[in-house]
Amino acid sequence: MSEAILSRNFNIPDAHKLSVAEPRGAYETARKVIGALKPEEVTNTVLASNLRGLGGAGFPTGKKWQFIPKDSKKPVYLVINADEGEPGTCKDRYILEKDPHQLIEGILISAYAIGSHKAYIYIRGEYVLPYRNLQSAVDEAYAKGYLGKSVFGSGYAMDLVVHRGAGAYICGEETSLLNSLEGKRGYPRLKPPFPAIVGLFGCPTIINNVETIACVPHILKNGAAWFTALGSPGNGGTHLFSVSGHVEKPGVYELPMGVPLRDLIYKYAGGVKGGRALKAVIPGGMSAKILKADEIDVKMDYDGLKAAGTMLGSAGVMVMDETVCMVKMLYYATKFFSHESCGQCSPCREGTGWAHKLVTRIYRGEGSVKDLDTLLTIARNMEGRTICVFADAAAWPIQSYITKFRAEFEDYIVSGRGKAVAAELEAAGAHAH
Amino acid sequence: MGYKGKACDKPAPDFSSKLKALDAQAELIVAKYDQKSAATLTLLHLAQDACGYVTPEIEQWVARWADVTPVHVHGVVTFYSMYHQAPVGRHHIRFCTTTSCVLNGSEDLLGHVKKKLGIQNGGVTPDGKYSLEESECLCACDQAPVMQVGDDYHSQLTAKKIDRILDGLK
Repeated sequence: MSEAILSRNFNIPDAHKLSVAEPRGAYETARKVIGALKPEEVTNTVLASNLRGLGGAGFPTGKKWQFIPKDSKKPVYLVINADEGEPGTCKDRYILEKDPHQLIEGILISAYAIGSHKAYIYIRGEYVLPYRNLQSAVDEAYAKGYLGKSVFGSGYAMDLVVHRGAGAYICGEETSLLNSLEGKRGYPRLKPPFPAIVGLFGCPTIINNVETIACVPHILKNGAAWFTALGSPGNGGTHLFSVSGHVEKPGVYELPMGVPLRDLIYKYAGGVKGGRALKAVIPGGMSAKILKADEIDVKMDYDGLKAAGTMLGSAGVMVMDETVCMVKMLYYATKFFSHESCGQCSPCREGTGWAHKLVTRIYRGEGSVKDLDTLLTIARNMEGRTICVFADAAAWPIQSYITKFRAEFEDYIVSGRGKAVAAELEAAGAHAH
Repeated sequence: MGYKGKACDKPAPDFSSKLKALDAQAELIVAKYDQKSAATLTLLHLAQDACGYVTPEIEQWVARWADVTPVHVHGVVTFYSMYHQAPVGRHHIRFCTTTSCVLNGSEDLLGHVKKKLGIQNGGVTPDGKYSLEESECLCACDQAPVMQVGDDYHSQLTAKKIDRILDGLK
C-alpha cells in the first residue's frame, strides 16, 4: 500500500475532534496560505497538480476555479458535494465521519482561491453520524476562529453552513444539488449558463466533491509536482477506491491514480471471495459500463478507463464472481434508475420505468428475446436526450450488460428458468408482486 | 420517486404546540441561509424529527418561515424519500436493495425481515414499533449487506444479527 494521505487519520480514534486532528497537522497549511499567498497562486498550484474532480466527472479542478468571473459584483459561493449516492461508492463518508477537519481546511484554502466568503456543504440526509461529526467539527472551527469574521486573524471572512439533503440520488448532480440547496425539488438545470457564472442564488458558484477538496491542503503543503508524481500522467494524486461485492477484503483503499484494476482486486482486496472465478467488474459506480473478466487489465484513472470504453466515475468498484446472474444484476440496476429518475425529462422518466418493467418481465421468466432489442432501443433513445447525464448513466448498464452477456440473457429467457427464480423469491418473501 | 409512504387516512393531529416550541430554532436556521427559501429542507427535517411525519399544518409552518407557498413545500415533501406523509414506526428501517448488498445476499435477508415483521415495503407493524422501506444504495458498500434503523447504520448483516438488532429495540 502506498503512503496514506487522504486516509491517514481514518484509523486514528477521535480524529474528527480538533484536539486530535490539530496536533496531527490540521489547519497548518491553511494558516500559511491564507493572506500569505495570492489567490491566483493557489489556483495555479492546484491547476499544475493535475487534480481532477473526484466526484466522478474528472474535470480539472484548477481550470474549473478559473471560470469564476474576475469582476463579479455578486458574492461567490463554494459548494461541497457530499451527497454521496453512486452505488458502490463509500469513500466520502469516511472523510466526513473520520476526518472532517481535513475537509474544512480544504474549504478554507479553496474558498480563498476563488474569492468566496461563504461555503455550503450538501451532505446526504441518510448520513446522520457523518453529519454530526462534521457539524461538531465546524462548530469547533468557529469557536477557535478558524471560521468566521477573521480566519486565523487574517482579516479573511469565511462562513460555512452544513446542509442536509433528504433522500434523492439525483441531488449529487451539481445543478440539481443547487436547486435542492435553494429549497426546491432537485431538478437539474440546463447548462449553459454554468454554475461558475450563474449558480447558487444566481451567483457565481464552484461545486466540488468532498475528496477533491480534501486533496487541496496536501497539494499546497507539498507542492504541485509532488502531487502530480503520485498519480499517472494527467491524473494527479491518490484516490480512494471503494471495493465491494465478491472480494475477500472489501474496503476503501487509498492508492495512486492509475493502479491496475487487477491489482486492486487481487493484490489489495484479497482476490475473489472463496477463490471463485471472476465474472465481471463495475469499475466506477453503477453508472459505469461493466467489464468482463478478461477486460480487467486496465489502469484505474480517468484516461485509462475511458480508453477501455467505460469510466472511472466515483471509483466504486463492484466485483462479481462466476455465480452471479447478469439478468438479476440488470434487474437491480434498472430498479435503481427507475426509482431515482427525477421525472423532469420524458425520455428518462418513461425510459427508466419502461426498461425496468421489461427487465422485471425477463427476470420473472415472462420475457422474450425480442425484449432485449427493445431494451437496447430504449437505452439508445435515452442517451444524450435529456437535461442531465442521469439518462445516459441509466442507459449504460442496459447496453453493456446485454451486449457483453447476450448469450446468458438469451439462455435465461429461452430456458424459462426465470419462473423458478420468481417462485423462489416469492417463497423467500423478498418480492411481492 | 419510489417509496413515499402512504397518504394518511386518519385526521392529522394538532401539532401547533410542538411547532410553536420549534419557532426559536427555526429563526436561527433561516438566519444561516442567504435566502429564506433555502431553509425549506432543513425546516422540514426539524419538524419531522419533532412530530414524526409531515402534515399540511407542518407544510404551512415551514412555508411561513421559509417565505414560500405551502404548495411549494408540498412539492418538496413529495420529491424526497426521507419525508414521510404518514406515521412510520418508532424504528424506521431503510433496507438497502442495491448492487453490492444484493451481491452479499440482501434478497434473502430482506425476505427474513418481511417475514419476521409481517410487513411489506412501506408497511408499519400494527403496534407501531417498526416500519420498512426498501432503500437504494446507502453507500456503505464495503460493509454490505447494510440497513439503517432510525439514524444508525448496521452492517455485515446476517439473519441472526438482524434478529439481535431488531429484538433489542424498545
